[in-house]
Amino acid sequence: MSTMDTELSEISAFIQSIPPFDSLPKQVLAQLVRELTINYVRKNEALPPQGITDPRLYILRKGAISCLSSGNELIARLGEGDLCTAFCSEDIAQQDGIHIVQTDEDSLVYSVSIEVLADIGERFPSISDFFSNDSAQRLKNKMNKVNEEAIMASTLMNTSVSNFYQSPVETIECSSSIQQAAIQMTEQGYSCLVVVDGEEPVGIVTDKDIRRRCVAAGLSTEQAISEIMTTDMCTIDIKNNAYDALMTMTAKHIHHLPVTKYGNLAGMVSVTDLINNEGHNAINLSSIIHKANSLEELKQISDLLPKLQIRLAKLGSSADHVGKSISAITMAFTKRLIEMAEYKFGQAPVPYAWLAAGSQARQEQLAHSDQDNAIIICDTMKPYDDAWFENLANFVCDGLAECGFIYCPGDIMATNPKWRQPRKVWQSYFTDWVETPSPKALLNSSVFFDLDTIYGDKTLLEDVRQNMLKSTQKSTLFIAHLSKNALGLRPPLGFFRDFVLKPNGKHKATLDLKHNGIAPVVDLARIYALAEGISAVNTIERIQQAAGTRSLTKASAENLIDAYEFLGMLRVEHQAQKLMRGEEPDNYLSPKEISKLEREHLKDAFKVIKTLQDARQSSF
Amino acid sequence: MTSATIANNALLNWLIGYEAKRKKLLHKLPDGALKDFLSVPFPDLKTPIQQIPILSVDFETTGLDAKQDKLLSVGFVEIDHQQIKLNSCYHQIIKTKAQLEESNVIIHHITDEQKDRGEKLRIVVEALLKALTGKVMLVHFARIEKQFLQQACFELYGVIPPFPMIDTLVLAKRKLDKRDVAYDPSELRLSNLRNKYKLPEHHAHNALNDAIATAELYLAQTSKQRKKQQITLKDILL
Repeated sequence: MSTMDTELSEISAFIQSIPPFDSLPKQVLAQLVRELTINYVRKNEALPPQGITDPRLYILRKGAISCLSSGNELIARLGEGDLCTAFCSEDIAQQDGIHIVQTDEDSLVYSVSIEVLADIGERFPSISDFFSNDSAQRLKNKMNKVNEEAIMASTLMNTSVSNFYQSPVETIECSSSIQQAAIQMTEQGYSCLVVVDGEEPVGIVTDKDIRRRCVAAGLSTEQAISEIMTTDMCTIDIKNNAYDALMTMTAKHIHHLPVTKYGNLAGMVSVTDLINNEGHNAINLSSIIHKANSLEELKQISDLLPKLQIRLAKLGSSADHVGKSISAITMAFTKRLIEMAEYKFGQAPVPYAWLAAGSQARQEQLAHSDQDNAIIICDTMKPYDDAWFENLANFVCDGLAECGFIYCPGDIMATNPKWRQPRKVWQSYFTDWVETPSPKALLNSSVFFDLDTIYGDKTLLEDVRQNMLKSTQKSTLFIAHLSKNALGLRPPLGFFRDFVLKPNGKHKATLDLKHNGIAPVVDLARIYALAEGISAVNTIERIQQAAGTRSLTKASAENLIDAYEFLGMLRVEHQAQKLMRGEEPDNYLSPKEISKLEREHLKDAFKVIKTLQDARQSSF
Repeated sequence: MTSATIANNALLNWLIGYEAKRKKLLHKLPDGALKDFLSVPFPDLKTPIQQIPILSVDFETTGLDAKQDKLLSVGFVEIDHQQIKLNSCYHQIIKTKAQLEESNVIIHHITDEQKDRGEKLRIVVEALLKALTGKVMLVHFARIEKQFLQQACFELYGVIPPFPMIDTLVLAKRKLDKRDVAYDPSELRLSNLRNKYKLPEHHAHNALNDAIATAELYLAQTSKQRKKQQITLKDILL
């Protein structure tokens, strides 16, 4: 019936507001709506409603529903517009450990049979992906999409394709053999050639064409290259921007695009050329810092840091990229200050290294976080040498503070004599922490398990680190203590209406992205690294290197990285919003700030983290 | 006939009006939609509330007088085992000669143009009768639907068939009356009753949406009683 769309408009509008149904075309949405069943379930009654045995997806229209484990532990609480997938499979399985689903309020519940959903899913993969995948897979899909979007949304819009193309373009005569083309590609290091007939471009050939249309097809390599070239060649005029070039290549599924000028072949642009475009800003800033001659100049440059963070976020850079860029700049500031100090106080009496601890060492710093630093000095130092290092520490830490890096509230700074010591003392610190671990000492010192040399003699730290890693690998007691500390921070369960749902069932107005999302992953990564003797300190690198060890499976590692990157992305976006409004950046995200779909992804990320925390816990 | 069914029939005295009338009319009628409708018995009065086959119905009309005013549109949806099945939903605008008055258009949002593209009254009534076969009709404020449907049948078939009905307004009224406290009659409006049961906001004045809104209200009203003794059709029939 043609008018039906408008007649069920209220229900349609409601369903359309819920991901993944928001992606459905109108007619399909109407079809879905017409297959809905409506039930009214009284407070404290169980789902599925009486008399329903077939597998169905439930959509809460009004009311509240709790999902509980067999031990009556709250797993999720659903509000208006939330989906309940617990009864989606044939055997009404206990998905995600859900054992009981019951209403907390009188509830109006829509439902649709899985057959209808599967039928729609066959035509619209976004629907089947959403329901057939587990949370880790959904998160992976999301992060893949984010990465694609990051490329598209970058500065490419404002940059002409002329900034990227390679010229002159490599050509080959159409009568040449396939083998000759392969040889030319190999010699010149190109994966793509334009085929010409005299001056006239007639087609394009890539190494993929040689693989697919020649080798795989059993074609002789003596055949003319014109046999396997693509003739309906796409080109782009040099006046277009880089974004258009990328869109053309994305739409046509090609990786190379000849660039024309006044209709003539002028060069070639590749997807790789476009992607490599990011991150120049951070490099520029670092070189300006390096040339600064006074603290005053450094202070002026430091004012640009929040702007850089906004800009990186706007470009759609990943949190990893933002963290590395900002950390690199902090490092540049620190180095320049040390150089200024050495100029002022003269050369160091003995070799030393300036260390960064915590987020800077992990290269996960955001604009103007607090400074965590230390100095490790060669064992040949004499007691009176410390005066020089004290001067250095004061100069650099004060300078950093002037540049907006606030003093560490926990006094983890080189100005603190405890953290300005010769190598052998550092060695003894680590020995103590590892051999006689106490929860409190570990809490204070865990920042020192993330250390990196910023300036000076790298071997000093590496020496201590290698010894430390040797002992942490062996000490199950130490790892157990560290784990116990780390597992204290648990992610929330998810969301209920516009609130964050904590594991104890209580609600909070905001999500602490740092402590309830990012820090638990950082902590897990540190545990894996120390348990497996991995010297990397960057969280993603630690997870990547721990992948496939007895601490972490490869699949779990990928899931954890996805969760970490998603949380990081939300944090970067949230902070960019705050910075743009001229407010102090923080880590407190209100559920109202994010879309329904992002909430779903967050829930998935929490689930991944919780699973790995549980696995860690059960290993003792 | 067993003694049990005889006893049942005795209990059905109440319904004799419907059943007797149904059977009596059935013999008089020529073959057709109305005869088909009447050839299936109405649900047993002892049917437990969860099993009553129901069709929630709403009409939009040009006014309140069934003799003078015209039926403009019909919407309905089935309730089967206390579940509203949207795949059974139906909505149709009727082509009538009557000129629509502006004051009325504001309520039902049906324009002359839409109306002129509508279906014939007979086709719409037959679709309704077919869907209503063997079911109880659910409405909010029965007078309009009852009188307009009877009037339409009289015009089309020359007879006035019986329609067993449940009225959500009467269900609410009975409950309020029982409390023996004065109440504002506006409390009995569909939207106010829905608010009372915390059902979602409902705006559209359209026959199908109102039929669904009434059906949802009915589920809420009857779910509240489920915990007590078994309620049957007899307890809630108009």
